Amino acid sequence: MDAQTFAGLIARAGDKAYNFAFRLSGNEQDARDLVQEAFSRALEHAESYDSTRPFDSWLLRILHNVFLDAMRRHAHSRTVSLDAPSPAEDASWADLLPETAESAHDGMARRESLDLLQRALERLPAPFKAAVALCDVEGLSYEEISAVMGVPVGTVRSRIHQGRVLLRRAYEALETNRGTMS
Amino acid sequence: MNEHIEGVELSSLIDGALDAAARARAAAHLSACAPCRAELESLRAFKRLAADAPRRALPADLALRLERRHVAAPPWALLTRPRVWAPAGALAAAALAAALWLRSTQAPAELPLEPLVAAHEAAAGQTLTPEPVLVASADADSAALLADDGAGGSAE
Ligand SMILES: [Zn+2]
Repeated sequence: MDAQTFAGLIARAGDKAYNFAFRLSGNEQDARDLVQEAFSRALEHAESYDSTRPFDSWLLRILHNVFLDAMRRHAHSRTVSLDAPSPAEDASWADLLPETAESAHDGMARRESLDLLQRALERLPAPFKAAVALCDVEGLSYEEISAVMGVPVGTVRSRIHQGRVLLRRAYEALETNRGTMS
Repeated sequence: MNEHIEGVELSSLIDGALDAAARARAAAHLSACAPCRAELESLRAFKRLAADAPRRALPADLALRLERRHVAAPPWALLTRPRVWAPAGALAAAALAAALWLRSTQAPAELPLEPLVAAHEAAAGQTLTPEPVLVASADADSAALLADDGAGGSAE
């Protein structure tokens, strides 16, 4: 892969990779690290890239592997139980919003919902988080997700559904938590 | 009434991943079953919420760092290649090329980041026209271009 090609690929796939990395990690610093490591590995293994297939998916697959490796290394610090209490900083933004679900179209409430969703997403175990992010955030088909995650389509299908159910549970737990703190 | 639709089936329906027969079965059941409709809507609401999350773009400084680290080729390697930008999708690439070009012409070793970022952003609004003098004639791309020109000229 020559330099110009690589520069073009960064420009084309960089946003998508970073967005996925951010959904997986939930913070900017980790997302940066994931993307950097993914591009490094991509370049190291450039010869294994099949140029008849989308570069995006190949890069996302590498990024996902990087993420799984990182998860394994930080297994204890990263895995948060679904019914663990919310972090203390919840208290600070809890009083930003007096009311909840009814005003879903209100911009403020919407932002709060999205914030809760991101937090809920962070709490999902990695396989569900990745499946949901790829499906709902990146808009990939089940087949594409199967290729990125390296698992059969049937597994993708059940992970997405279970992920959504877990996401809903985590979201509702956060919402309840917020209610009791304000 | 037949059994309720499995959750995984509802999720697949939402994602457009059911075949026509399964979709028809689901539709028939949903039309007559309020609990399944409620569950479908609940799952769909979460899909929408996730899809609505604002997208994060690759930070400009990170794009430049990646380019610096990985695009190790000497500047002339870039400048001797003719750049013929595709009309769509090339702006971001042009931005990076502009950054590279700036680096090659202005910077010996470590360049302050600001001009690069500025160029990166500025170039997003304009196409980059390569200086003809910088374009070497001997690689495959330009050979193809010359071949085109030649064909036009030889038609007489
Ligand atoms: Zn039912």
